[in-house]
Amino acid sequence: MTRAVRFALPAVVIAAAVVIPFVTGPYPLAVARSVLIYMALAVSWDMLLRSGQISFGIAGFFGIGAYAAAISVLRLGVPPLLSILCAGVFAALVAFLMGFVILRLRAVYFSITTLALAEIFRVIVQNWGDFTGGPEGMVLPSLIFKGDSRALYWLALGAVLLACAVSAFFQRSRLRFALTAIRNNELSARSSGIHIFKYLMIAFVTTSFIQGIVGGIQLQGYGYASPDSVFDAYYTLLPLAMALLGGIYSTPGPILGAILLGVAAEYLKLKIPYGHLVVYGIIIVLVILLMPQGLYGLYRKRSGLRAAARAPAAPAQKGATRG
Amino acid sequence: MADLEITNLCKRFGGLVAVNDVTFSLGCGEILGVIGPNGAGKTTFINLVSGVYLPTSGQISFKGRDITNVPAHRRAQMGISRTFQIIHPLENLTVVENVMLGFIFSRRKGLQEARRSAEALCESLGLTGITREVSQITMLELKKMEIAHALANDPSILFLDEVMAGLNVDETRELVTLVQRIAREHNIGVGVVEHVMSVIRDLTHRVIVLEAGEIIAAGPYEQVARDQRVIAAYLGGGA
Repeated sequence: MTRAVRFALPAVVIAAAVVIPFVTGPYPLAVARSVLIYMALAVSWDMLLRSGQISFGIAGFFGIGAYAAAISVLRLGVPPLLSILCAGVFAALVAFLMGFVILRLRAVYFSITTLALAEIFRVIVQNWGDFTGGPEGMVLPSLIFKGDSRALYWLALGAVLLACAVSAFFQRSRLRFALTAIRNNELSARSSGIHIFKYLMIAFVTTSFIQGIVGGIQLQGYGYASPDSVFDAYYTLLPLAMALLGGIYSTPGPILGAILLGVAAEYLKLKIPYGHLVVYGIIIVLVILLMPQGLYGLYRKRSGLRAAARAPAAPAQKGATRG
Repeated sequence: MADLEITNLCKRFGGLVAVNDVTFSLGCGEILGVIGPNGAGKTTFINLVSGVYLPTSGQISFKGRDITNVPAHRRAQMGISRTFQIIHPLENLTVVENVMLGFIFSRRKGLQEARRSAEALCESLGLTGITREVSQITMLELKKMEIAHALANDPSILFLDEVMAGLNVDETRELVTLVQRIAREHNIGVGVVEHVMSVIRDLTHRVIVLEAGEIIAAGPYEQVARDQRVIAAYLGGGA
């Protein structure tokens, strides 16, 4: 990929995403909005994965965000747009406090704990009584932007752009080096002066902030949150499958996966209303077995090989001069 | 002046005493050999100095400051570096990016400056082709990269954990010369854990011999090599 393409391609994709509401009907627009919601979650999940930590807690922080937004509107009278920010801040705060405990765990212990955390959040919300609305959940008196479907779509697109901007920053800054080193080998990372806990905390809080924001947007878009709807394992499973399919450890990978799987998910939901989750499970297993680097990883590998085939002498010559 | 002072250092893992009552010091420009049979506690000893383990008892001080309970990443930033017996390079990064880590995190440099510094360091070690990914380099290059990775922290003390393992005679000779040059030019104290005795003989000013976690002999190589306890420890013989 040349430099021009690398800058032009995202610009074209963003421009296309912005104009979609003008060229499609209400149903495709609703599907596109839901794809964007999952896309933002998938990108955020991948950002923490770069440190080697596999979180199953997406639905937890997403749900916390939705409830934080609902409570800030209904109990505190916060304006809708600001309530979305509240959602992110509250999810980040919870992640920060939880981080002191769970960021000391690794591998499967970390994953299981994040999964349990999401379930604990759900149980708390369900049993808090009037404050959270209990099992019935909370209903907003009105939707943000008076429920205008275009505006809601752009709001979701905003969440994706935020997630991508933060993800790109992660990839261009010292965070990339810190997270890659931690994923690779923690002893070696520490021997280079990397404060592991600090960087894990930065990644965990940042990704939880994004997931909270997305939860807030989801609440403002549907005007409704219940323990069973916003803490649904679906919000963990689908973004995870999207990132795996598209290609992990990158920004374009989860985006690609979200588009493919998001559209497929909509179709599957119509065809197999009760069994479609099984299909995601199958996709995850197949991708891990056959294509662990995902579609974007595969593309990068192929284009890398082509580049190497075009100029085979360059690095070899340099190496040969060492004598 | 001795930069690193270790006093009565002990480390127990449950009932196993891995390092027992070890006392020694290491100063600038000095190359110290650490030898001993397998399981003598050499790597545990490096892990204690670099902060991977905290000692059960004893004291570690560095430049006059007590660092016994300072965490590993802080020790790297302060100037205690090490290499690893089993090297864990960042496979999906290039050689120069691997070397950048210490410049970024220990010396707190920006990415561009870190890259320039890492390039200069690699060049000074004779490490070329540094924009290749790690999976494409030779064993000798990997060892040099591991040393560069450690030097990127700007250490005063550097421990090399069996850095010669897996190299042929010529490569070993090249690396021995390199380590001597590093100790002299960077004026750092180097601790060399090694099984290859010719390397210890050519490289070190002073040797300590560990057996079952204890120092059984210390001194110049020629003296230590004749020590009856050392010979017994290596060959068995139940002295």
